[in-house]
Amino acid sequence: MTDKRSNRGSRGNSSRRNPKRQRFTPDSQLQDNIKIKAVVVALGILLLFVFLVWRVIVIMRDNGEQYKKQVLAQQQYDSITIPYQRGAILDRNGTMLAYSERVYNVILDCHVLTNDNSDGKSTEPTINAAAKCLGLNASDLRLYVQDNPEARYHILVKNLSYDEMEAYQNYVAEYNADINEQNKTREDDKLPRINDKAIWFEDQFRRTYPGGSLACDVIGFTTKDGQGQYGLEEYYNDTLMGRNGREYGYLTAENALERTVIPAENGHTLVTSIDSYIQRICEEKIRDYNLEHAGEWRENEMGSDNTGVIIMDIHTGEILAMASYPYFDLNDPWDMSMYSEGEVERMIERADGDAEKASQGLWKNFCISQSYEPGSVCKTFTVAMALDMGVIHDGDRFTCHGYLKFGEGDRTTTIRCHQRYGDGDIDVKTAVEKSCNVALMLIGQKVGKESFLKYQRNFNFGLRTNVDLAGEMRTSSLVFNERTMGVTELMTSTFGQGFNVTMIQTIAAYSSLVNGGYYYQPHVVTQILDDNGAVVENIEPKMLRQVVSEHVSDLMIDYCIGVVDEGTGTRARPAGYRIGGKTGTAERSGQGKRDYTVSFMGFAPADDPQIAIYVVIDRPNTGSQEHGTRYACLLCRDILTEVLPYMHIFMTEPLSAAEEKELEERGQQSTLSVSENSVSENSVSENSVSGNEAEEKESEIPVVEITIDPSSGMAIDPINHEALDPETGAPLNEDSGIFQDGEGNTLDIPQAYDPGAESDDPRE
Amino acid sequence: MAEGRTAEERGAQRRTAHKRPRVSHRNNSIDIPLLIVMAGLMIFGLLMIFSTSAYNAGEDQASFLRMQLLAEGLGIVAILFIVSLPYSFIKFLGRPVPRLVILAVAVVMIFLLKTPLGITAKGATRWIRLGPLRVQPAEIAKVAVIIFFASFISEKPERINTLKGYAIAMTIAGGMAGLVYVFSKNLSSAIIIGGISVLMLFLSTKEWKFQMFGYPAVVAAVVYYAVHKVQTVADPESLSFRYQRVMIWLDPAKYVTGNGYQTLQALYAIGSGGLTGKGIGKGIQKLGTIPEVHNDMIFSVICEELGLIGAIVVLILFAILLYRCLNIALSCKDSFGMLVCMGVFLHIAIQVVLNIMVVTNSMPNTGVSLPFISYGGSSVSFLMAEMGLVLRVARENDNE
Repeated sequence: MTDKRSNRGSRGNSSRRNPKRQRFTPDSQLQDNIKIKAVVVALGILLLFVFLVWRVIVIMRDNGEQYKKQVLAQQQYDSITIPYQRGAILDRNGTMLAYSERVYNVILDCHVLTNDNSDGKSTEPTINAAAKCLGLNASDLRLYVQDNPEARYHILVKNLSYDEMEAYQNYVAEYNADINEQNKTREDDKLPRINDKAIWFEDQFRRTYPGGSLACDVIGFTTKDGQGQYGLEEYYNDTLMGRNGREYGYLTAENALERTVIPAENGHTLVTSIDSYIQRICEEKIRDYNLEHAGEWRENEMGSDNTGVIIMDIHTGEILAMASYPYFDLNDPWDMSMYSEGEVERMIERADGDAEKASQGLWKNFCISQSYEPGSVCKTFTVAMALDMGVIHDGDRFTCHGYLKFGEGDRTTTIRCHQRYGDGDIDVKTAVEKSCNVALMLIGQKVGKESFLKYQRNFNFGLRTNVDLAGEMRTSSLVFNERTMGVTELMTSTFGQGFNVTMIQTIAAYSSLVNGGYYYQPHVVTQILDDNGAVVENIEPKMLRQVVSEHVSDLMIDYCIGVVDEGTGTRARPAGYRIGGKTGTAERSGQGKRDYTVSFMGFAPADDPQIAIYVVIDRPNTGSQEHGTRYACLLCRDILTEVLPYMHIFMTEPLSAAEEKELEERGQQSTLSVSENSVSENSVSENSVSGNEAEEKESEIPVVEITIDPSSGMAIDPINHEALDPETGAPLNEDSGIFQDGEGNTLDIPQAYDPGAESDDPRE
Repeated sequence: MAEGRTAEERGAQRRTAHKRPRVSHRNNSIDIPLLIVMAGLMIFGLLMIFSTSAYNAGEDQASFLRMQLLAEGLGIVAILFIVSLPYSFIKFLGRPVPRLVILAVAVVMIFLLKTPLGITAKGATRWIRLGPLRVQPAEIAKVAVIIFFASFISEKPERINTLKGYAIAMTIAGGMAGLVYVFSKNLSSAIIIGGISVLMLFLSTKEWKFQMFGYPAVVAAVVYYAVHKVQTVADPESLSFRYQRVMIWLDPAKYVTGNGYQTLQALYAIGSGGLTGKGIGKGIQKLGTIPEVHNDMIFSVICEELGLIGAIVVLILFAILLYRCLNIALSCKDSFGMLVCMGVFLHIAIQVVLNIMVVTNSMPNTGVSLPFISYGGSSVSFLMAEMGLVLRVARENDNE
């Protein structure tokens, strides 16, 4: 006990030796102090932890639903529109007339640039790269970034091509790789990289017309928001347009973020019957004419107010070329720099001083949107209807004294023939050849008002042809009806004065006169393809009615050949060819004596009509009408001289020395010898314009229907029911040798599906 | 007396002899639960860093993950080194000269920020380049402060019970915090340094009046000043950076597009998580919406992806970690080791509390990282070194 007590008593003194005695040292007191307070602090921390858990619970409980919605709402900004590609427009050989090209807008995101982890050092190389590759001003950029450090969407450049974009991206990649390489050896002062996320590319499509002004009136153009204006672009706007796709994020039932892409639906492609080579010839010749005669009679005006040419396949109603002057550039419809200042002023003056209206005047397609009095070309229709009715016959004779008086008493009217002293005693053919007004009026008297109007309706005058182009004019109020047509009106109508027509109406009607009497609705689009090239729709030729008998058609062909052989239209004959046609000269009503609309309407070749051509020069800028008519014929000759050989139509007529010289100057070869050897051996299809046309001709005799397998998009051969490749027309089963040995008909069938059938044409 | 002493010594020897097999076994072991919890937090942190940074990391999605792994590798080396040091070396740090050297090193590091060695990013110079490494001097300062005050207090415990000694200690604490704030524009680190120092002094001093009068007054003054300033200034745009943050704290939705953006987006993330969250990796707010999401705001994505349960699990892991630290401190036989452990305890506790308070908008926004989880090489390596000190002390406790 004492030992213990003494031990206790001595604890305070020998603390260093005995750990149990530390309680009374400063150190042990410190430890006790710490231990107590540490537990207090720990409890405090625990309380704080509980408070934090409670905070989280409160946020989730009170604002959970609202914040969930907020999070979802913020995600909507992530939706991206994927633009569709507008369908292309092709000519009959597959040449691009219009297509949409992917272009890139360059977007600068200053926020990304100024907030990256380079501490602003990457700004300079990034701006330099943009300045170098994208042709921008570096100091402007620097200033913009400085002034708008948080701007997230600044368009630097619009409509950059893929190559230009790639050049920039390659430059950035190379630069950064180089910097990375250098930075490997640098301890500090790392060189800044280009911030490749600060400048990004937003893609969109731009409509491009590779032909520039080629077929401008037929194609039309598109506005910036992708709406077609004029021509095919407007008429087929819905077909060409696709649907925008979208990429967006959404939350699944498990609240997981998913991203979904709805791909864009691209528009459909149009295959047209336009042949860009023929189209180009027509446009060049028209332009040459108008430039040559610009300012010739009236100062500061073009060679004519309007010049239009249509070439049409008479057996299908397909339009091979449709050209008019003045023209415009499809890639820049507002550009008028191709006209002289005086001409532009004059155009604006005529559009009541409104420059915009003047541009709209350019965009209008003269061939379908403007009416005029057709003049003598209509004599063919008058003669044809009389022959078809049987009121006159081939060889009937008429006497022309230079004028005709009709009516009685005070209402007597005298109409002069253009031959002042009369054409004398002439038969029907000569009446057409000499374009005798008196004979035509006499014929008109036999036809009578009611029949004349009936036939005019059958020829579709006064009605729209419903050609598949936007902006066709209504002419129903510009022709006579039974109420408005008196004797005088009937008389003038027989030679094409007093009523208005459009070019497309006239050539469609004329085609029916020379193709056996069948009226086809004119059209431009032959096929609609989807964006993979599979056929969506074939647009077949639409024969509306038979207007005259085949016999009358044959007679009209004969008369029209006479016009060119020995009548008013001799100047229209191209060297080495025989064609038929009819000239026309009409006074422009209400414009004074000096204004005329001159025209030539014809077909070629004479022995087997394939195409019809109609040339109209509205208000030629020449001194007299005589000159004007001559120019219409010469323009037609110029065009056909180049178009007919291109179409594999061979020369049939001997060439005079002068003609041979002329061809030599044009750099063309005579196709006469070729035709002598091969014309009899060649099948019909080889003379034809293309496979499409050949198929139509064939289908008139044995109707061959080719069906498309809806599941595979393959054409089905009607003979052996085997699948054909829609691209090449070749049988998929190569063992089947039927096509190699088959008849011409059989061989032609695949051609109908071959837009490139003309590709072995050496002229291409 | 001599006999008694001998008997005592013999008894002590007997007890040691009796314990020897266990002791010698434990001599080479370390505190396994602490290590497991720390490793768990770090692995979880790596997972969350990858989840939050992959979207913002660009082409190399794992670039942040790799940097963090590298720092943690350095941390493991530091732990192994410190744990294998003899305890006499640890006690050596408790002497005046070593602690002054450590403090001086920390101060020099802070001064180096103003030399070309300093690295500037996002408008503040917070790193210095030491050979191949980028180091945050503020993290060094935190370790230095812990060791300094443990040493300063345990060497002469009576010193901080006098007004003079206490004033010296407070001056040093305030000086370090002020240096960090002035030189690296880093208020949060200054607060943490101040907090650690002040609480370590609070634990140690016997003079209640120092605490009773000092701290509440300071806290009340700061709060009053902040709130008063906010309420009297009508236009928040003209306020300084700090006061704007206070305004945002008071009404984050009002400043959606400006500086309140980060706070509000973090709240959206927490609120949209619900009880179980959207699933790890499936969060939305980390996809470019929350700034610094892999860093200061990582807890918001933990709430979004793992929900309330994930948040509670993280807090429980921290609670276990802190409990182990506290336990080691309480069973330590010398006051220096005890104070070092408490310093580390306070460091971790303060950072966890501040970080989660910021993320949950319980206080104005200031950038504090979540220990062991947030991205940040300096922070995690020095925290691991501090854990090495705790583990070394724990090993000594078992040795006794």
